[in-house]
Amino acid sequence: MNRKYELVYIVSPDATEDQVAELHGQVEAVVQRMGGQLEKTENWGRRRLAYEIGRHKEGNYVLDVISGSGELMKEIERRLKVYDTVIRQLIVRVDEAELVSERRRSTRTESSRRRRVARGLPADRQPGEGQRSEFDDDRDDRFEVGEDLR
Amino acid sequence: MNGRKSMGGGRGRSGPGQAKGDGQQRRPMFRRRKVCKFCADKIDDINYKDTKLLMGFVPERAKILPRRISGTCALHQRRLRIAIMRARQLAMIPYTGE
Repeated sequence: MNRKYELVYIVSPDATEDQVAELHGQVEAVVQRMGGQLEKTENWGRRRLAYEIGRHKEGNYVLDVISGSGELMKEIERRLKVYDTVIRQLIVRVDEAELVSERRRSTRTESSRRRRVARGLPADRQPGEGQRSEFDDDRDDRFEVGEDLR
Repeated sequence: MNGRKSMGGGRGRSGPGQAKGDGQQRRPMFRRRKVCKFCADKIDDINYKDTKLLMGFVPERAKILPRRISGTCALHQRRLRIAIMRARQLAMIPYTGE
């Protein structure tokens, strides 16, 4: 059973670079040993925590994308809990959610293409055509928070 | 664009038995129609890592903004909730305000 998971763990800000690297090595070793695959690793570096964990106000965030079995993730979680340099961890399964959003995206582009062809336009949007792109963000359509919140 | 908000005006308060004048006074309170941000922007995957996006839905008190105010559709509100809860676990979003 190959599933895809995202693992995020927060390493204490007191930990040295070496300790972070060692921890990562540990994760990698477990993944390898249990027949999984480490697809991606991101080190987000030091970030402010939204609330204090223990006495820490900051933490080093590390993200790993791992494909493997549930057993593997269980083992990793168990191991991470042992280290007191790891102050928080989260494992999320992502393959299904990715599949769903992928499917939604493809049906949407497909139907938009169909509609465009039916209107006699080229299937793909031409540059400079249509509404603003998602990158200009001057349209502030967010709700007004002044309203009664209760 | 500027459609009338379906249940606008004084919600709940202006029953049918109330004075007409009152209702008329409230009438011109047109609000902008709320649309689900995620439907409008075609965001399929509400990710817990996208703190910037999520923070738009947690006001100062750090409660999740209800649908009735943000206008988010049921489907996306559900996913938003899950994303916010995950982000909270990772201390990327607060559980409580100051």
